[in-house]
Amino acid sequence: MSDFVQAGQISAAKEMVERMRANMRQTIKGKDEVVEQVLVCVVAGGHLLIEDLPGVGKTTLAYSLARSMDCDFSRVQFTSDLLPGDVTGVAIYDETVKEFVFKKGPVFANVVLADEINRATPKTQSALLEVMDRARVTVDGVAHPVGAPFMVFATQNPVDYEGTFPLPESQMDRFLMRLQMGYPESGDELEILRSTRAGYDAIRLNAVVTREDVLKLQALAGEVFVEESVLDYILKIVTATRTEADFRAGVSVRGGLALRTAAQARALVYGRDFVLPDDVTALVALVFAHRLGLARPTSDALEERRAVAAVLKRIVAAIPLPV
Amino acid sequence: MKRRPQLNHDELHQLRWLLGGGLVLLSTATVFYMEIDAWTLMFVTAAAVGAVMFWPTLPARVPAWVHRLAFPVIVAFFLGDLYLTGELLPPIVRLDILLLLYRGISYRQRRDDLQIIVLGLFLVVVAGVLSVSLVFALQIVAFTACALAFLLNLTLADASGVKAAGDAGRGPPPWAVQVQWGRLFRRLREVLDWRVVTLGALLFAGVVGVSALLFLAIPRFQLENSLFLERFMTRKARTGFSDSIKFGDVTDILQDNSLALSVDITDPTQVPAQPYWRMVVLDEYRDGTFRLSTALRAATFSPERGDVQLRGVARAQPEEPVYWTFYLEAGVSRYLPLTGRFVQLRFRERQNFRFADRLGLVVLRDEPVSMTAYRVEGLMAMDVIPDRQMGAWLERATESGAEQTSAALKLELGADDLGRLARVVAEIKAGMEPDVEEFSRRAVAWLQARHRYSLQSRAPPGAGDPLVRWLDSSEPGHCELYAGALVLLARQAGYPARIVTGFKGGSWNGFSNNFTVRNSDAHAWCEVYDAAVAGWRRVDPTPGGSADTGSDTTAAGAAGERRIDRSWSARIDSLRVFWYRRIVNFDSRTQEEALRAVKSATQESGRRVRAALEDALARLKAWMAEPWDLRRLLQLAGGAAAAVALAWLLRNARLAWRDRGMFWRRRTAQDPVRREAGRWLGRLQGLPVEPALRADLERLRYGPLAGRPPLAPVVRRARQAWRARHEARITREN
Repeated sequence: MSDFVQAGQISAAKEMVERMRANMRQTIKGKDEVVEQVLVCVVAGGHLLIEDLPGVGKTTLAYSLARSMDCDFSRVQFTSDLLPGDVTGVAIYDETVKEFVFKKGPVFANVVLADEINRATPKTQSALLEVMDRARVTVDGVAHPVGAPFMVFATQNPVDYEGTFPLPESQMDRFLMRLQMGYPESGDELEILRSTRAGYDAIRLNAVVTREDVLKLQALAGEVFVEESVLDYILKIVTATRTEADFRAGVSVRGGLALRTAAQARALVYGRDFVLPDDVTALVALVFAHRLGLARPTSDALEERRAVAAVLKRIVAAIPLPV
Repeated sequence: MKRRPQLNHDELHQLRWLLGGGLVLLSTATVFYMEIDAWTLMFVTAAAVGAVMFWPTLPARVPAWVHRLAFPVIVAFFLGDLYLTGELLPPIVRLDILLLLYRGISYRQRRDDLQIIVLGLFLVVVAGVLSVSLVFALQIVAFTACALAFLLNLTLADASGVKAAGDAGRGPPPWAVQVQWGRLFRRLREVLDWRVVTLGALLFAGVVGVSALLFLAIPRFQLENSLFLERFMTRKARTGFSDSIKFGDVTDILQDNSLALSVDITDPTQVPAQPYWRMVVLDEYRDGTFRLSTALRAATFSPERGDVQLRGVARAQPEEPVYWTFYLEAGVSRYLPLTGRFVQLRFRERQNFRFADRLGLVVLRDEPVSMTAYRVEGLMAMDVIPDRQMGAWLERATESGAEQTSAALKLELGADDLGRLARVVAEIKAGMEPDVEEFSRRAVAWLQARHRYSLQSRAPPGAGDPLVRWLDSSEPGHCELYAGALVLLARQAGYPARIVTGFKGGSWNGFSNNFTVRNSDAHAWCEVYDAAVAGWRRVDPTPGGSADTGSDTTAAGAAGERRIDRSWSARIDSLRVFWYRRIVNFDSRTQEEALRAVKSATQESGRRVRAALEDALARLKAWMAEPWDLRRLLQLAGGAAAAVALAWLLRNARLAWRDRGMFWRRRTAQDPVRREAGRWLGRLQGLPVEPALRADLERLRYGPLAGRPPLAPVVRRARQAWRARHEARITREN
């Protein structure tokens, strides 16, 4: 990490982010907070897990993001009979060239929406693992890079449990953040009702940044300065989750790194070249909640989510901000 | 960098619960040595509090009406107890334990926790004042440690801002439900690193040190006499050393191996190898019981008086007097063990006592409830207790031929028994008319030939006096039977005789260098009046005792004979003696001595330091005055270089140490710019400040070193902003 980031780079980055934000707000009404969180995730180069009921705009969100970034968008509806090849692609014997030719699957895009990911079998779910981690697909020993930038939007319904395969912890750890959309405000919903549009295919959005811009943003985020005491603060939070009796296990090292990366990205989104403790506190619940499980699991998923959030809030409140 | 884990709220609460229960258990354990009848209550408390400590959900199962009824029931219990007992202190102690029980088995708020400390402290202090025993010292130390930990825990739990939850009837608090003691202790072990332990130990040492300083420095006063606590209690004594003894009483004491008496002697060579500690003299024998006759009591004991000292009948020796300091354990006797006559006896505190100089006895009015300490000057180890009055009385009696009225000669036995005695005496005398000494020797030999020593003994069945029956049989017997039989024989032969009870022998504690007498050293022997020496000659007929009546073997002569005790119990006893010598018996005189010693030591060391400084200065002057040459200059330069190198090494070592984060954890504190900016950020927090200023401060505090704005202007602006807000607030308030 170089210690020096040009002031001009920072303001340019902020300007790009603002353009994306404004663009997405055209289609996503009244969800400024969610939009910002998604942007932080994009800048950090992480994957998103969106948890909410069907029909609150998850697909619209992913699609408008892809459009704003001038990126390829693909959508995979996960079902229990979906096979790994359906996601990654398969090698088919081509008569004309007399050899196996790799037919790319839907994962070869920039923004991949994995809808209802917990409906697929674990085998298919884990097919996403390598892609999410390394941004490439290996079939028959040949690695095929997917798009750059690459981002997985996975959605799952927290209420329905019938016929689902909950994501394994290793896969949960690979998502940078977990978001909830929630219903829009009544005023915003009225506006949505007023619009004549139906379905995300009807969304007409212009690209405001290029793929290269996004890659530059992600590179720049890695150079945002994190002061020693802020690192220390992150470490304190991570340690506190490990010593907390309410949690089954604490946050992994990857989790701590994720919090740092996300905080750097948030600083950049706010046009700063250094991280504030506030960046960290704002992101703790988003980055950590899905990585933690209660020592005494509750029967209800929503209740467990609330309990984890409450404990995290308590932990953060107990640790003094670095002054 | 390794981070120290911290206990979370639930763990703090669980720890608090454990410590509170521990305090209750610790303080109720005082019942063990307080000798107040609260055993049932104590065991109930220990069982209930122990169970609740282990299963903290139990209090939630107690129905709410119990809590509503608790207060009236406790008050009723106390009043009833007070009415039935008629004493004040035991009911108060029982009330205290009952309150502790109630607090121990219900969920506690903070004030309830503090209540536990106060109630427990009351118990411990009362027990400490009542029995100045060593257990008290250990207990108060343990209690202090526990209470300190408890208070620290309370503070921590408070600081973490969570209320001590748990209300009657509202179910157990969350911390009680998910309790896993094993996990808690593992976590405690993680949390307790050397820093915490050192800090705790320092805190504890500080408290103990300050207490010790206070103990040394505050003026002495008599706690017992000022609190009158003893008056609130009555206490049962051992019967073995009272003025009426049935056979077997002394033998009962023999079973008890606990400490009875410790004696400090300024000149240990003065102690005989087998000292006889006389306590009670019994002259009247009737119906198998020896008593102190009323006539003798009236004739010999002085009226009761209260004083701290007592002048004896022995004359002071011209050489350096020998002091014997006795520490008599509580519950042994009202009679003070002594080996003979003395010049002066001084109590630790004012006592009510009676003194019988003819018998060589001192008796206290009340059975002491705590250890009794007394110092005796010029105590003599006597084999013969002089009694001229007895000789005069005997002469008068023979002259007048009057009826023998001295209890020491009386034989209130049936004709049959007297006949048996007469037969035995004739056998012992064998036709001669021996003197007292010779008769005693023969009688002892006769008894020892006839009977075997045994603690299990019984008089053979039959009619008449049990002692005469035993005497005439060949049953084994113990010291009381031997002594009693000899008394009867001597009286039958016409010599006044009496039984003396007390202790015989003892051991030398090799750790604390004092004489230790245990209850198992209890003994009974005889004294026969010998007109030839005008005194009562000691005769010990029990086998194994020194049967010879005259030889005075002192420790100086027979040092090898003395039993030197180096066992574990001796080690513990030595601790107890230290407690008595240095703490309990610490009166104004010893205080003065200790303070004087401290003063002289300080002066001495100050004087030495000054002398050393002056010496060094003189040497330096002499060295400076010497003529300079190259060698000396080089020496000087070498010394200076060495000093610089040493300073540099030290500085580096300190920096390395600091970098390891052992003491200086907050590295940001090393960057003064960040520190200053952080201070201003904190000060301006929550105030509406222009965003540019805040951004600058944030950049200074958290930003990269490159491109940071100069500190001074930013701070100036921050100060202005802060002042503006501040003044605005002041004007608004006015």
